[in-house]
Amino acid sequence: MTSQATAPGGTGRATRLGISGWLRWSWRQLTSMRTALILLFLLALASVPGSVLPQEGIDPAAVTQYYQSHPALAPILNRLSLFSVFAAPWFAAIYLLLFASLAGCVLPRTVRLVGSARQRPPRAPSNLARLPAAASYSTDQGPAGVLESAAGLLGRRRFRLRTGEGWVSAEKGYLREVGNLLFHIALLALLFSVSLGGIFGYKANRLLVVGQGFANTPTALDVFRPGRLVGPGNLQPFSINLLNFHAQYVTSGPELDQPLAYNAGLTYQTQPGAPLRHYVLRVNHPLVVDGVSVYLIGHGYAPIFKVTDGTGKVRWDGPVPFIPVDQTTLTSEGVIKVPDAQPSQLGFAGVFVPSAVDVGGTLESAFPAALNPRVSLVGFTGNLGLNSGQAQSVYQLDTSGLRQLKMTPRALTAGQSLKLPNGLGTVTYVGYQQWVSLAITYDPGQLPALISGFTALAGLILSFLVRRRRVFVRAVAAADGGTLVTVGGLARSDAAGGFETEFAELAELLRAQHGGTAAATPAAGPTHQSADAEDKSTENKSTENALADVPEAETAGAGADRHEAALTRPDGE
Amino acid sequence: MSRMPVPIRSALAAAVVALAAVAAAGCDGGNIAGDNPGSSGQSFVGHSYESTFYGVGQRPDAPAVSGTTISGQRLSLSAYRGDTVVLNFWGSWCAPCRAEAPALAELARKLGPEHVRFVGVDIRDQPDSAQAFMQAFNVDYPSLNDPADQIALEFHSTVPPAAIPTTLIIDRKGRIAARVFGASSYADLQALISKVIGQTA
Amino acid sequence: MPINTAAADTSNGLLLSTVIIYAIAMLCYACDFAFAKHRVLAGVSEQAAVAAPELVAAGAGGRSVSVSESRPAAVAGGDTPTSRWPSGFWLRLAFLLTCVGVLVHVVAIFTRGISEHRVPWGNMYEFIVAFTCMTVLVLVAASIRYRAYYMGVFVLVPVVFGLGIDLTVLYTPAGSLVPALQSYWIAIHVTAMIVAIGLFIFGAVVTTLYLVADRSERRIAAGLPSGAAGILRHIPGAAVLDRLSYRSVLFGFPVWTFGVMAGAIWADHAWGRYWGWDPKETWSFITWVVYAMFLHARATAGWRGRRAAWINLVGFACLMFNVIGVNLFITGLHSYAGMS
Repeated sequence: MTSQATAPGGTGRATRLGISGWLRWSWRQLTSMRTALILLFLLALASVPGSVLPQEGIDPAAVTQYYQSHPALAPILNRLSLFSVFAAPWFAAIYLLLFASLAGCVLPRTVRLVGSARQRPPRAPSNLARLPAAASYSTDQGPAGVLESAAGLLGRRRFRLRTGEGWVSAEKGYLREVGNLLFHIALLALLFSVSLGGIFGYKANRLLVVGQGFANTPTALDVFRPGRLVGPGNLQPFSINLLNFHAQYVTSGPELDQPLAYNAGLTYQTQPGAPLRHYVLRVNHPLVVDGVSVYLIGHGYAPIFKVTDGTGKVRWDGPVPFIPVDQTTLTSEGVIKVPDAQPSQLGFAGVFVPSAVDVGGTLESAFPAALNPRVSLVGFTGNLGLNSGQAQSVYQLDTSGLRQLKMTPRALTAGQSLKLPNGLGTVTYVGYQQWVSLAITYDPGQLPALISGFTALAGLILSFLVRRRRVFVRAVAAADGGTLVTVGGLARSDAAGGFETEFAELAELLRAQHGGTAAATPAAGPTHQSADAEDKSTENKSTENALADVPEAETAGAGADRHEAALTRPDGE
Repeated sequence: MSRMPVPIRSALAAAVVALAAVAAAGCDGGNIAGDNPGSSGQSFVGHSYESTFYGVGQRPDAPAVSGTTISGQRLSLSAYRGDTVVLNFWGSWCAPCRAEAPALAELARKLGPEHVRFVGVDIRDQPDSAQAFMQAFNVDYPSLNDPADQIALEFHSTVPPAAIPTTLIIDRKGRIAARVFGASSYADLQALISKVIGQTA
Repeated sequence: MPINTAAADTSNGLLLSTVIIYAIAMLCYACDFAFAKHRVLAGVSEQAAVAAPELVAAGAGGRSVSVSESRPAAVAGGDTPTSRWPSGFWLRLAFLLTCVGVLVHVVAIFTRGISEHRVPWGNMYEFIVAFTCMTVLVLVAASIRYRAYYMGVFVLVPVVFGLGIDLTVLYTPAGSLVPALQSYWIAIHVTAMIVAIGLFIFGAVVTTLYLVADRSERRIAAGLPSGAAGILRHIPGAAVLDRLSYRSVLFGFPVWTFGVMAGAIWADHAWGRYWGWDPKETWSFITWVVYAMFLHARATAGWRGRRAAWINLVGFACLMFNVIGVNLFITGLHSYAGMS
C-alpha cells in the first residue's frame, strides 16, 4: 500500500513513508467509507446553526435584531460566518471534501464496472455446503444432463453463466451497481447544475405599485444578485406593466383575516416592440417570460400623497409604498421624502391602517382589506441627508439632520389635508393604491438539477431493488449410478433478506426439473455470513473467490489489505 | 502495484469537482444593492465611481432614443446628431445623483456653446418631484421621463445602465464613446468629455 | 367554498374512535404477550433458543450474528412458508382491531378532506393525524408481509400517545388553505413526506427494540442477567429486527428523497427558488444526510449493528425536529402550522 523507505541501518523503528506514500494514504483515507460517514455527519452538523440562527441571505432584519439582543455574542458568531453558514468557507470545505471523496470512490468504480461488463461469474467453490444457502438432492439423470438443464434453467432466468468441469456458476444483479453509481454520479451532476445556476443565473426583486411598469434592467431592480458571469447586458429585456391587484381574505369564522387568494393582473412583452400579452399572476403560478420566472412574493399598500411646499408648488404627487409591520392586519409604515421642497426640505413618517378601528384611543387595523383606510403622519423639516451622495433607504428616514414639526396628531381619511406649521406647506392624503413585490429568477441550472435529481432517485431505487447474487450447481456421479446434485448460493448484498426465498424457489425448481428424490435440505454447519464477514473470514480459497468480485488471478493478496478488499468490491453492501 | 493510475485519475476528477464546487460556493456574486451599506432598497444605486472610455473602433451605435420630457414635450436624440451628447440617468430620490447634479448643471451651461448637449433620463420618478429637482439644482437641460425603464432598456444590447447614476457620452457620430457608473465630479466628467471630443474621427 | 361542518364533526368523532380502538388493540397486543403460548412464533423462538448456544459458542465480542440467514426455509424475517395470519386469540383480536382502527382513521381523514374541499394536510394537526395513520398502515403491511405482529404494541404506544396529544393540544378546526399552499403540489410533496414519515417512525420503533434486544442477547450470551429477557421471548431476535429496521429505511429513504425533490420543485413554483436553506428545508436535508449515513454505515465494516442503529435514531430525532420542532420553534417560509 505504501512506497516504503526503510530506515537505513535497520534500527527497528517503523519505516517512513515518502511524500507520494503520504499522498496515497491520504487519498485512500479520503475515499474510504468511514471518511464518508464522518463527512456526512459533519455536513449535517454544520447545517444545524444555519437553521437555528438568523441568516443574512434569508432574513437580514432578523440578523440585525440578533445583534441588538446579543451585542456581545453576535460579532463572534459573525466572525465564524454563523450568520451566513451556507456560504461560509468551512461549510464549502465540508461538502467539497465530501464530493471529492464521492468522486474519488465512484469514478474508478464506474471505470471498473464498464470494464467488467463482460466479466464472467467466478468458479464454483468446491464445497457448496459451506455457502450461506445450500441444498442437495439425488437424481437419476447423468451429471452432464443435470448441469446442462441447470444452466438452461438459470439462463432462462437471466443469470450470467459460466460452466466448468462438473459445475455451473451463475450470477445476477449487476444492475445494482449501476444504480448505485448512477445515484452518486447524479449527485455530482446536481452539484454542477447548482453551480451552473450560480454562475450564469441571477435573482432580482422589484416592488411595483399598481399602474406602474418596469423593464428587466439593473436600474429598475430593487435587489439584483447576479451570478459570477452575469453582466447588465445579459438580462432578458422583458417588460411588465401591473394593471391591478386583488386580494381576498376570509371575512368570518375562526380563520378571519387569513388570505384566500392574490391575483395580480398584468401585461408583459418579451422585448421592446413585441406584442403585449396578458397574464394573471398568482402565488404558485409564476409568469415565465423568455426563460425567466417572475413570482408574486408579497403585497402591501401604497397611500397616495400630494405635498405642496411653502411656495405653493406641488412637490410630490403620487403613491408611496408602505411596508407592512403586521402581516395579518397589514398595518404599514412608510416614509415620504421631499428633498426639493422650498424653503425647507420636508420629510414624513406615516402609518397606514387599512381597516381602522379605535381601540382605546389608538387606531388599529382590524382586517387586512382596506375597508376604512386611515393615515397618520408625523412631519419633519431640515436636511434629509440626500444631497451628501450617501445612498439611503427609501423606506427609512434619517432624522439626525431633521427636526420634528409640531402638529396635532390626526388620522387622515382620503382627501383630508394636514397644514404644516410655519408656512412650510400642506400634505394631503389623496387615497391609496396597492403594490406587489415580484421575485425574478433566471436559473439555467434548474432543468439540469431537476434531471439530476430524478436520475439520482432512479439510481437509488434501482440499487435498492436489485440484489447481486450467485448460484452454483455441482453434479457428481454417485455410486449407485445416479447423480448427487448440490446447489449453493449467496447474496453479495442482502442485508434486507429475501435471497433465501429466491434460493429455496430455485433449488425446488431444479429438483423438480431433475426429478430429484430427496427434498432440498438446508445446509448444516455454522454460518459464515456474520455481519463483519470480511473481518473474520476463515473460508478457504475457493469460497473466498466465490465471495470476491475479481477474477482469481488478482486475489493473490486478498488477505492482506482490508481497504484493498473494500475497494475491489463493487459495492460495499 | 497496478493501483497507481487510479488515484491520479481520481484526483483529477476530484479536482474538477472541487473547482466546480468552489465556483458554486462563492458564486452568488453578492447582493450589491441590498447588502452593502447605504443601499437604497430601491434600484441599483451605485455608490462607487467607475468610468470606461471606448476607443474609436470599439464604439457601439447608440440606440434611437426618443420620448417625452418631464415637462411634457417630445424629444428625440436624433435631433442632436452632430453634437456630443451626455446622457445622464438619474432620479430625484437618488442621493449620488443629487450629489453630482450641480456639476452636471454647471458643465452643461459651460459646454453648451461647444456643441455638447446634456440630456437626462429620469428613472422611477414623478413629474412634480423631478421638476422640483431641476429647479433646486438649476438644471437647464431637458430630461426624458422614463417611469417604466423603456429608455434604459433600449441600451440593453449596447451599454446598459447598470446603476444610478449612469452617464453615457455619445459622440458626434451617434456612437457610445464613454460610460460612467456612480456620481462623477466636475473635473472628471469634463476631462472625459474632452477626451471623447478629441478622439472622434 | 364554505366548510362542511357536518363532515368536520364526523371526522372529529371518527378520530376519537380511532384513538380508542388503537388503545384497545394495544392492550390486546399486550395481553398476547402476557397470556399466549407463543404458538405463533414457536418455530421462531425455538430457533432463537437454538441460536443462543451458538451465540455462546460464537462468543467474545458478540457481534450480532444473523443466524437465521443460514436457514433458508424458516427465517422469521418474513419469508416463511407458514401462514401469514396471526394465531392466538389475543393476537388475532389485536390485529383485527388495528385494522379496523386504521380503516376508521382513513375514513376520518377522508371526511375531513370532504369538509374542507381539499387535501386534508394543511396544518400541523392534520399532518400528525395523517402520518400516524401512515405509521399504522406500515405496521399492518409489515405484519402481513414480514409477520411482524410482535411490533403491534410497540408501534401503537407512540401512535396513541401522539394522536392523543394532537387531538387535544394541537387541534385546529377545519379551514381553508392560505394561497401559498393552494397548489396540486400539496398532494405530491406533503403526501410523499407523510408516507416517508410513517415508514421512518415504524423503523425507529423497530430500531429501538433492536437495541434493547441486542443488548439483552449479548448479556445472555455473556452469562449476565438481562431485564429485557422477557421481551426476547416474544420477538424473533435482534437480527430479524435489524433487518426489519433496515427494510423500513430502504423503503423510506427513496420516498423521502422524492419528497424533498417535490418540495424543491414546489418551492421554485411558489417562491422563485428551489432551495433557499429555509429552516424546514435545512432540517429535511439534515434528516436526509443522517439517513444516508445510516445506509453508508450498513455498508461499512465495524459500523453495522448497534452503531448503525444509533445513527438511525439520530436520524429519527432530526426527522421529528424537522416535522414538529421547526414549526414550533423557528419561523420561516414554512410556517403553516396554524399556530402562533
